[in-house]
Amino acid sequence: MKTTNLIQSYVSSHPASQQYHSDKAVREFDVHKELSNRTFIKPLPSNGKLVRKSLLDLPSEFRKDVHYDWKAFKHAVKGDANDHELGRLNDVGMKLGGLAIAAYLFTRKQTPMTKVFEFIGLGTFFAAMDFWPKLFIQLPAKLIHGVNVRQEYEDSFGRKKMFYQDHQFIPWDLYSDDEINKIGDRLNVPKDIPNRREFIQEKMRKIALQNNTLWMLTAGVATPLMSALMCNALEKPMAAYLDQRTTKKANDLMTNFTQEISKFDFTENIKALDEILTANSGKAVTPEIVDAIHHNLSQGLDYMLSEGLRRDLDRMLLGDGKFRLTDSNIEGIQGALKSTFETVALSEDELARIIPNADSIKQALSAKSLLGGAYDDFSEHTKIIQDLLDNNVREFLRANPNHPAARKLNFLAKQLVHSAEHGADSPLVQSLKTTSANILDENIIKVLRTLANENNSFKAKTFILDKFAYMKAGQAPETSLANGWNEAESIIFKAMNFTPEEIKKARLDGEIASEVLRSKLESITADKTAYSKFVSEIERALSSIQGRVKSLDMTQDANTNLYKSRVISTYDGYGEVLRQLGFESFRENLVGFPGIAKTSSKEIAFDFVADRVKGVKSSFYRFLNLADMYYRISHSEDVTQLLKGYPREVKEELVELAKITLLEGHNSDFAVKFWQRRNPSPNMDDYSDIVVQGGKVINKYFGKHKEGEIVELANDNGFYQSVMKLMFGGEPHIDTRTRIQDSILSEFQNYRRQALEVFGGDKYFVKPSFLVDGKQVSTSSWSKFLLMGSSPNEMFFKRANQSFNSGKWFSLFGKLGAALAGVTLLAQFFFGRMKNPQKDQEVKA
Amino acid sequence: MISPITSISGKNNLAFRAKPEGESNEQINKEDELLDCGIVTKSKIAMDKFTKAFTIYPAKGLAGSKNSNFYEFLTMGTVPYIVGSVMLMSIFNSVNPSFLPFDKVAASRKLGNKMALGVLFYALFKEVSKLFITYPVKWKTGIDTELPYRKVNYLLKENESDDSTSIEYHKVGESVDFTRWDLLYAKPEDNKPLNYRYDKIAKKNGFGENLNDSDQEVKPIYKEVLIKSKLAKSISSFMWAATGVALAFQKPWENYFNVATLKFWKGREFAHSLKVFGQSFVDSAKSLYKGDPDAVTKIGKHSGKLVIGAAALTTVLGLLNTFHITKKPSNVTGQEMLNPNKESVVG
Repeated sequence: MKTTNLIQSYVSSHPASQQYHSDKAVREFDVHKELSNRTFIKPLPSNGKLVRKSLLDLPSEFRKDVHYDWKAFKHAVKGDANDHELGRLNDVGMKLGGLAIAAYLFTRKQTPMTKVFEFIGLGTFFAAMDFWPKLFIQLPAKLIHGVNVRQEYEDSFGRKKMFYQDHQFIPWDLYSDDEINKIGDRLNVPKDIPNRREFIQEKMRKIALQNNTLWMLTAGVATPLMSALMCNALEKPMAAYLDQRTTKKANDLMTNFTQEISKFDFTENIKALDEILTANSGKAVTPEIVDAIHHNLSQGLDYMLSEGLRRDLDRMLLGDGKFRLTDSNIEGIQGALKSTFETVALSEDELARIIPNADSIKQALSAKSLLGGAYDDFSEHTKIIQDLLDNNVREFLRANPNHPAARKLNFLAKQLVHSAEHGADSPLVQSLKTTSANILDENIIKVLRTLANENNSFKAKTFILDKFAYMKAGQAPETSLANGWNEAESIIFKAMNFTPEEIKKARLDGEIASEVLRSKLESITADKTAYSKFVSEIERALSSIQGRVKSLDMTQDANTNLYKSRVISTYDGYGEVLRQLGFESFRENLVGFPGIAKTSSKEIAFDFVADRVKGVKSSFYRFLNLADMYYRISHSEDVTQLLKGYPREVKEELVELAKITLLEGHNSDFAVKFWQRRNPSPNMDDYSDIVVQGGKVINKYFGKHKEGEIVELANDNGFYQSVMKLMFGGEPHIDTRTRIQDSILSEFQNYRRQALEVFGGDKYFVKPSFLVDGKQVSTSSWSKFLLMGSSPNEMFFKRANQSFNSGKWFSLFGKLGAALAGVTLLAQFFFGRMKNPQKDQEVKA
Repeated sequence: MISPITSISGKNNLAFRAKPEGESNEQINKEDELLDCGIVTKSKIAMDKFTKAFTIYPAKGLAGSKNSNFYEFLTMGTVPYIVGSVMLMSIFNSVNPSFLPFDKVAASRKLGNKMALGVLFYALFKEVSKLFITYPVKWKTGIDTELPYRKVNYLLKENESDDSTSIEYHKVGESVDFTRWDLLYAKPEDNKPLNYRYDKIAKKNGFGENLNDSDQEVKPIYKEVLIKSKLAKSISSFMWAATGVALAFQKPWENYFNVATLKFWKGREFAHSLKVFGQSFVDSAKSLYKGDPDAVTKIGKHSGKLVIGAAALTTVLGLLNTFHITKKPSNVTGQEMLNPNKESVVG
């Protein structure tokens, strides 16, 4: 009876009883009938079920889980949660913590890619935690043994649990006999053994336990590794997606220019200006007021524009530099006089006798009509004040002839009207020039308000323009141009097919990289077919860059380039407003003088993008030029004529110099006309042609001399010109030209022409009087720098380093991952081994 | 069989020493027993679980032992935690030495070492922060949510030579559904009132003294405190772990990485390394709080404060919720309940 009462009590009072009596309960079940059967009291029948969900159920399962977790949270807050709910909440806490980490690191990263990868890293980590046991434990076990070792079930209260979570409590009754027998067949369990179901269950349990243990042992290595490998795999598609997104975002800025501008709110700024203007309306303008107005208007303007604005404000508000005299000026005069005599030991009474009082100053100035007007010259004022002071000092000294400060008093009185600094106002004049004669009247206020509105509109427009320029061409990672560079570089070096050994060697040093690259180029250019393919790839790289920078091409007509037209309309439009309002200095710094000023803000808006594009394009055109020249030398085509007339030894020197200069040369190498140590007395009997084998020049003379026998030969104009022509002169080889599309070929030819002129020009050269084709070129070191681009060997050195580093990482962890996966899969074949019981003889019989 | 850790009564002091020849363990292992909650016991339990997680339990699991259970599976959870931490550190550091100096410094100092420190701080902050809940709850309510006990498991024999029992270390409040109330009662040998532990908690929570059945009155609030403190720990500990990672990613740590050494036998270098560690910790904490001076957005500038604030807030809210006990017994006296002046229906 006691037992029965307990069960009755449990059934009626347990909070879960409500759940139990749900529709899910077995219909025929009658608790009273069951309990009255005292001889057969057994556990209540299970109301649970195995979870059989497919991938399609994931969204609904996710929604259910979130709902469950939310309910669990509410229960836990009230102190009513159960173990299962608390376990789920722990997982929620872990995910929240992970999100907090990702969110914090997100704020610390600078570029979209690094930012987004904080969350991808977190996501892949949780995904790896889930995928590893599913893909490498559950799936193989299912395929090999037919047992789902991560089977889930829903208990009577609807709580999802792992079927094999606790091996001391496995709810086997959720599996029907048919299901168990089917699994048994798959496990090759003989059909005619006693207690077959129990044997199969034990085998399933064993397989599940072994797999769960294997999961625990491997998850530590597998999860971070899988997460890292997933991140690696996602890097390229994510970069492509973000690149596309950046490009679209930038293009949208130009397309929706007006809408973008309208998003700016300058209410606060306008309000602040209004306060300044209202507070000082009708008052004399002081430098402090000008400061306040300038500070308000110049926020967000660059230094150059801000300075221009300041000059205009000074001129307009402080006007012609005339000042008025007020009572405060008179006090200021007395203050200046007092501070002059500070160094003399005078009592208050004595000082009062020396310094003219306010009335006497006013009377004296008034008598000479020097009080009520506007003045820019205060010499008359200072004379009068000086006279007053001298009189007082004289009288004081007469009364006190033996005063210790007598001599000093005279000296100081003189100093008052002279400044210690040449050209600067004396302290007395400074005290007079404090109140401008100009008044902040309604007209000025109206002009300033108009300016403020137009200025804010200009700031909004330039903000959008600058943002576009930065997103497209900024010197930062992940801008459109930077992505283009990476893409192009990747195409070119991939086409060169470097071996891991070459990469390993090249990453050590720029010069070694140069050797490896040169050797590779020589071998490619020696083979016409390989060269043809290679040039096609370079063309693909250049084509990619060209497409990418189309919207930044400042040589285009404004009608076809939205950025250019927006810059023109923004700057010129505001320039016109400034002209009408009379802000000439501001305007000058904004738009300059058409045709001659290249230093205005407007020009900077053009040059910023144009220069960046030029630098990037030059780098890749230089690479193409390098390949073209190596090809011409490899096949001794288009070079014979140029080298004709030189002794073989000089030919070898010349070719070597051209090869190395295009490969490694910097601006400074061109500035010093290619520093090279040569033989001053070459063999003049041998005029044979150079010999090339496999793309390499077989030198007969070059490099065969002792160090002391070679020197730098300066001022060898002909030699220099020939090297320049070998590198940049004439047309590219026909095999190169036929492989490149017209637009790129035309740019390439233009690049070569410019290079010949700019690098070949002598105007800024250290060694003067070098002409190329008899022409003098006017250029700057900046334009040379842009045309020079990146040297191929350095480009390769950096690339080799990146390839080596990522290859090294992948090699180590990729192998480790493969080994772990292999061992995990292999282990399945050793799981679930049990000795089959003796066959049931009776059944067999 | 596995030797047990000292029980609360101090009788079975057999932990971590070889079993003397001929001594039987049957006596000491026959029943479950509360353990003292001192740091020594907790350390020993941690060490015991750690050792078994890497040795006995995997061996049993891989062999498919009939006696493997959920406790062993959960204890084995330490393995991926530790191995995963080492692996995570390794992923960001192990290849770096083969990089060129510039890349090596960039990969190690700027990221790899910080990531490794982040892994350490994650675990450290997560575990230490649980004390922010455990101790205030213990002081305020008298309930030790981490009170350990030794559980004796009677095993199925798989081989003739098998031991018959195994020892597990659980906590009384480990399960809120099946809390081990029985262990909180006094044993006869304790020579204390049966409910003395419940009495203490009842008194601490203002239920009064000399209660007839303090256990019945305390159990609901004990359970409530367990649930609420578990919730608080689940959320706040991970937020503190996030704070630990954020702290590890501060620039001042780079000073420490430049001089870091674990070669304790090189006294001066090691001492200097520790000193720089301390200074870097302080500077990094300041840097985390103050934010990046070059940050252009407000969120970038104050993100450190937000992380610290979230951790502190979840801790405080969790504690307040735990202290807010709603399942106190009714103050209605028997007399009030059976008011003779009021009509009542007895069903």
